[in-house]
Amino acid sequence: MFKKGLLFMLAFVLVASMAVGCTSRTNTGGNGDGKSEDSLKVGMVTDAGTIDDKSFNQGTWEGVVKAGNEFGLETRYLKPVGTTEAHYITEIGNLVDAGYKFIVCPGFKFETAIFQAQERYPDAKFVLIDGYPHAGDWAPVVAANTVSIFFAEHESGFLAGLATALELQEGEVGFIGGMEIPPVQKFNWGFQQGLLYASENFGTNVTVKAENVIYQGTFDNVAAGQQLAAQMYDKGVKAIFAAAGGVGVGSINEAKARAKDGDDVWIVGVDVDQYAEGIYEGNKSIILTSAMKQIDQAAYDMIKAEKEGVFPGGEILLFTAANDGIGIPKENPNLSADVMAKVAEAFNMIKNGTLVISDVQGDLIK
Amino acid sequence: MKPNTGKYVQQLRAIKVTINKEYVLAFVAVILGLLAGAALMLLTGNNPVSGYYYLFRGGLMNVERVGNTLATATPLIFTGLSVAFAFRTGLFNIGASGQMLIGGLFATAVGLTLDWPKPLLLPVMVFAALVGGGLWAALPGWLKARFNVHEVVATIMMNWIAYWTVFYTVPRYFKGPFLETESQRIPYNASLKLNSLTSLFGGSYINLGIFIALLFVLIAAVILERTTLGYELKAVGFNRHAAESAGISVNKNIILSMTIAGALAGLGGATFYVGYASNMQIGVLPSHGFDGIAVALLGANTPLGVLGASVFFGLLHTGKGFMNAMTRIPPEIADTVMATIIYFAATSIMVERVWTRWRAKRGGVR
Repeated sequence: MFKKGLLFMLAFVLVASMAVGCTSRTNTGGNGDGKSEDSLKVGMVTDAGTIDDKSFNQGTWEGVVKAGNEFGLETRYLKPVGTTEAHYITEIGNLVDAGYKFIVCPGFKFETAIFQAQERYPDAKFVLIDGYPHAGDWAPVVAANTVSIFFAEHESGFLAGLATALELQEGEVGFIGGMEIPPVQKFNWGFQQGLLYASENFGTNVTVKAENVIYQGTFDNVAAGQQLAAQMYDKGVKAIFAAAGGVGVGSINEAKARAKDGDDVWIVGVDVDQYAEGIYEGNKSIILTSAMKQIDQAAYDMIKAEKEGVFPGGEILLFTAANDGIGIPKENPNLSADVMAKVAEAFNMIKNGTLVISDVQGDLIK
Repeated sequence: MKPNTGKYVQQLRAIKVTINKEYVLAFVAVILGLLAGAALMLLTGNNPVSGYYYLFRGGLMNVERVGNTLATATPLIFTGLSVAFAFRTGLFNIGASGQMLIGGLFATAVGLTLDWPKPLLLPVMVFAALVGGGLWAALPGWLKARFNVHEVVATIMMNWIAYWTVFYTVPRYFKGPFLETESQRIPYNASLKLNSLTSLFGGSYINLGIFIALLFVLIAAVILERTTLGYELKAVGFNRHAAESAGISVNKNIILSMTIAGALAGLGGATFYVGYASNMQIGVLPSHGFDGIAVALLGANTPLGVLGASVFFGLLHTGKGFMNAMTRIPPEIADTVMATIIYFAATSIMVERVWTRWRAKRGGVR
């Protein structure tokens, strides 16, 4: 018995060492530890949730990968063990120590971490999406090696709300948010303004009740997203705007299951065009439209700017309708041409300033 | 005199052998874990040698990283001690995460409310955390003693009660000016971080928590090994009925053991939320409570073993990101490797079984 075990161990060790030999040979050169200081290496640290969250992390990473392929750069993302400032700085330090001197961080949670990192690693450059660096007191300190990027989520939410109201004409809709943080709140407020605008100008009757505006509290609780969506659909809600990362994935799953059973339910996607995520049969999707932020474009643009030597360090950039930084997808198979035309019209009005969307709560729900 | 000395030496030898055996077993378990992790890296086409090289470098390569390793280990020491302490009384404390949250909440509440000088404030905060965690675990202890409610079920549920208590309390009473999802930043005079300590370790996250942890490793060891209380607790753990007929109050000891375990986890919460982190986020159940189970198992439920196992885990967590950045191992695989190592490391009991069986067999043959 013991001899058998020993033999097994021996065989295992042999196989293992052989395999080690093979991989180390094939891996030489491409191991990422080459000290090629001159070429730019681009790193990203993920926010809460996974890299394939179908929204925020994924959008950012796609922009990074696109730039990486185009300019032949090495790219790498790291996933922090937790979501505290210490965890984030640890990963930023890991990237810097490994030679990644251009670091993209998606999410307001990085604000204080970037504040420290921009000072600590002056030879590295940072792109902070949805936030600006500060010491914990909300007084912006954007150093010369950092760019901070914001989006006009309220405008994006407005267009999605308008499209939803025009397409459905009447009925109840709901909102599921992730955490109750400014970008998500602005999506919500914009969405509600879109519904109101449609009823005032186009006579639609699509409304939202206070009980159907819910912030789940996380961006990664898929099960809760499914449950919340189920409750809303049971109460007769026809479409849900899910601005909630992984929570929204749960809502999409619930809508898909119901659509398969023939129910008339919809989801309004967020951050990226989520149409493909909502496909339940053939090419039919439960994604009515998506309130997009061009996160990938923003990440890509910044890397491109760095390559061209025009990195806008020290600035706070705003991506709005005016610079095509937000909007709904160009292709929306679930929206009629008439709806698309009306949304495009509103988009242009926002763009030239004749229509102003508020980014504060006012009389709106939550 | 002579026979007496002989007996004494024999006793000593027996003690030495058991200690050695336990550490040898833990060591074998760690090696097994590392081998399994290596196999996984091989299976995914990566080189385990460079993987482990960068993993350990990432945790140890300079004082800052050593500091971070110790800082990451600190809350684990407490949750590990907590689980181990309850184990010794035959109780399975799965609620260390929740106790940590409450401990952290108590410390945060005191820290944000009182404006006292640091040397006065810190002991009060730490004491508050101890009381909070202790009370949180006393309830399941009492339920177990009084109604025989299984502590596994009760402590898991208490985790979620803690989670939602924090979810409600922090935004309601301690939120900062903007964000709904986290508390105000802990001011320096309420933080366990010490400027001199931070700069000594090159800007690391190490804080006074590690010294409190070392102190409590000692205290736990003394209670368990040198006091009547410890003797009674262990007696209940070995055989409840025997202990009872020997005149030991089982119920009292169950409640007491859970309270002490909870107090230890609560202290861990203080070191995490006002030491390692700089504020309290809602919607996050810390994973330390569950890692604590593995730490306790690997550390053979002894305080010193827990200390060693925690530092090992801290090393893994701290080095992981650097391994990701330096090799082609993606974060998800790295997480799986960590989990595999932890899983195997926690099977030291299995290793022990195999060991005894093997020895018995060899003895039998002779």
